[in-house]
Amino acid sequence: MNVERIKGLKFHKKQDVAIVGAGITTFKRRLNETGKELSYYAAKQALDEAGLSIKDVDMVVMGSAPDAFDGVHMKGEYLLDGSGGSDKPYMRVFVGGGTGVFAPIAGYWHVASGLADVCLVVCEEKMSSCYPHPQSAFKYIWDPILERPLKPNLIWIFALEMRRYMYVNNIKHEDIALVSVKNKANALDHPSAQLAARITVEDVLNSEPMALPVRRLDVSPPSDGASAIMMVASHIARQLTDEPVWVNGVGWALDTTWWTNRDLYFPRYVAEAARMAYKMAHITNPRKEVDVAEPYDPFDYKELHHMEGLGLAKKGEAHILTREGITARDGDLPICPSGGLLGVGNPIAATMGVKVAEIYWQLAYRAGKRQVAKEVTTGIAQAWGDLMQIGTVMVLSNKR
Amino acid sequence: MKMDMDMDVNIKKNYPSYVRGREIKAEDIEEGRVSYNLHKPNIIYSFTAGQAISKFLNGLKEGKLLATECYSCNRTLFPPRIFCEVCFRPIDKWCEVKDSGVVETFSISYIDPDAKPLEKPIIVAVISIDGASPKMGIMHILGEVEPEDVYIGMRVRAVWKPESEREGSITDIMYWKPAEGD
Amino acid sequence: MTFNEKIVNVRELKHVEGKIELYWIYTSGEAGDKFFKALKDEGKFLASKCSYCGKTYFPPRIYCEYDFSETEFIEISGEGRVRAFAVATLDSYEKPLENPEIYAIIDLDDTDGCIVHLLGEVEIKEVFIGMRVKPVLKPKEDREGRITDILYFKPS
Ligand SMILES: [Zn+2]
Repeated sequence: MNVERIKGLKFHKKQDVAIVGAGITTFKRRLNETGKELSYYAAKQALDEAGLSIKDVDMVVMGSAPDAFDGVHMKGEYLLDGSGGSDKPYMRVFVGGGTGVFAPIAGYWHVASGLADVCLVVCEEKMSSCYPHPQSAFKYIWDPILERPLKPNLIWIFALEMRRYMYVNNIKHEDIALVSVKNKANALDHPSAQLAARITVEDVLNSEPMALPVRRLDVSPPSDGASAIMMVASHIARQLTDEPVWVNGVGWALDTTWWTNRDLYFPRYVAEAARMAYKMAHITNPRKEVDVAEPYDPFDYKELHHMEGLGLAKKGEAHILTREGITARDGDLPICPSGGLLGVGNPIAATMGVKVAEIYWQLAYRAGKRQVAKEVTTGIAQAWGDLMQIGTVMVLSNKR
Repeated sequence: MKMDMDMDVNIKKNYPSYVRGREIKAEDIEEGRVSYNLHKPNIIYSFTAGQAISKFLNGLKEGKLLATECYSCNRTLFPPRIFCEVCFRPIDKWCEVKDSGVVETFSISYIDPDAKPLEKPIIVAVISIDGASPKMGIMHILGEVEPEDVYIGMRVRAVWKPESEREGSITDIMYWKPAEGD
Repeated sequence: MTFNEKIVNVRELKHVEGKIELYWIYTSGEAGDKFFKALKDEGKFLASKCSYCGKTYFPPRIYCEYDFSETEFIEISGEGRVRAFAVATLDSYEKPLENPEIYAIIDLDDTDGCIVHLLGEVEIKEVFIGMRVKPVLKPKEDREGRITDILYFKPS
């Protein structure tokens, strides 16, 4: 059959989408609350900030990573009551670590399409339930025939990617460790933080080896936690606040699952996702047009890797921006002002609270002590996951 | 300076204004200070290898590495598959590739899959295979080499189990060893 | 073409066995912790009442599912009425049970909630929907703060 080829993506939206509230629980290695209770805390806080009640919510999106962490199959359904989805259209989305930005992207579809005027997005993770260690759950993401017999730990793929990134761009571990130093210090100002600390590059380089080049302080911790955001149509936003934060672009892309068949030095998946989001948001020069960013930083090198994928730095040059202080909270391009996953914690999907929610608070000038020094108009949040293959990107702005 | 003043006016309340969640320690569970339920299910799967990987595993038993070729993009795909995921068409041909290759990247792992320390660290690498298309590689273990001697670009060769012990598994190759000058 | 080289002898098709070596420890949460501690230490049943709509949750929760208000804990008797029941003759591995077990949904008095549990000290043919039942607990020293601290419900 002959069909007319559609060149590029088309972005016809029914209505503009704004974020008007966000919520986050504390992030800790182990919390007593059930996943439902954590979801409730975060959702309630987002509703309160927006000045809405659960009865105002049309639809609910839940984001949560593999069921193996919480140890509850049909986790989406299990979390329904705590996330306010009872008696409503409700869906769960999941793309591994990319979920923290993918769940709000799904919320965006709901509102932009006109299906909903008010959509609550809740993300939850309770990794501490999983024994002998949360990392044990990752044994089952590997190919059961070609990879699992080698007894891999999840850290391996990141170590392999980090080594390749360092080799191709000739980057030293010292340069990468600066990211961990910066983010853990930024997290001192985040009330949810699990691993906020003042550390030095030497601390990182001398920390316990896990899978070299990855050492203990290069890595974010497993965490329990939840987060939520309120996404509404423009006519609702107008009634709630004078300063909504608009979602101007969304993008996501996946690279092949045959991860040993591609060069790992550059995150093509992030570059493709960013291309889609920038096109939608009419951004042509991200380095100039983006004021603040929260790229996904489960490992220190990942922040740099993702900055390059997002076009915030040239290939192999992100570490120079870090070294020169440009990515500090008072720098020209603040990166991970929240403290990121390295400092605040990594409850996989719930990292929405330090990515999308943080950019929302920054652009609404509500980040308090974490507020970046420069004037901000446009910010981006990005997450990444699966077998180093998905990039998820959201462009936010306090101007439409 | 003007900007700084504006900023002060602009910065509103510190959000989130509060965070909830009661932190507990492993001991709180071990010593029963919080109520909990423990469940150890017995779950076993049988993973079928399918057409391409079955043939590949049978090849390992014979000491051969099998790949497939796509005539459309001219790639030699390794590990083999029955369709080309780029051209999205069936594969044209089987072929044999060499049991040697190049280290694309590597790591020295001090931990097992449960994040427990290993007695002796192991070296893991992505190895691109000679005879396959560029960057077509697999993940495997390196041996007969010290961690400090491994480098990206190092040539390596497979060390096979004796034929009688091979069972058609990826571990029929015990590890890959340096092959400089081979 | 691959399709000409398809493996037809099923013996040549491989499979790999894999065991999921995970286990889980589930905390009972803020509401669950209160509930199980009261059951274990005092043999008491707790429910929680929504401060806004008055709906009473059993097992208790810290929030109301429908209006997202907070709740207050209240003590209830633990007695109730059978809403539905089923007789299990096989165990979870589908092996026949020597003594069939009666499972029931029990609506708890003074709550809008219910519990799924075993019935005991009653013959199958005597059970009926609407039957009043009360809980039988393990002796205090054997209780662990789990749902199995309730042995079963019996006719009252
Ligand atoms: Zn209520």
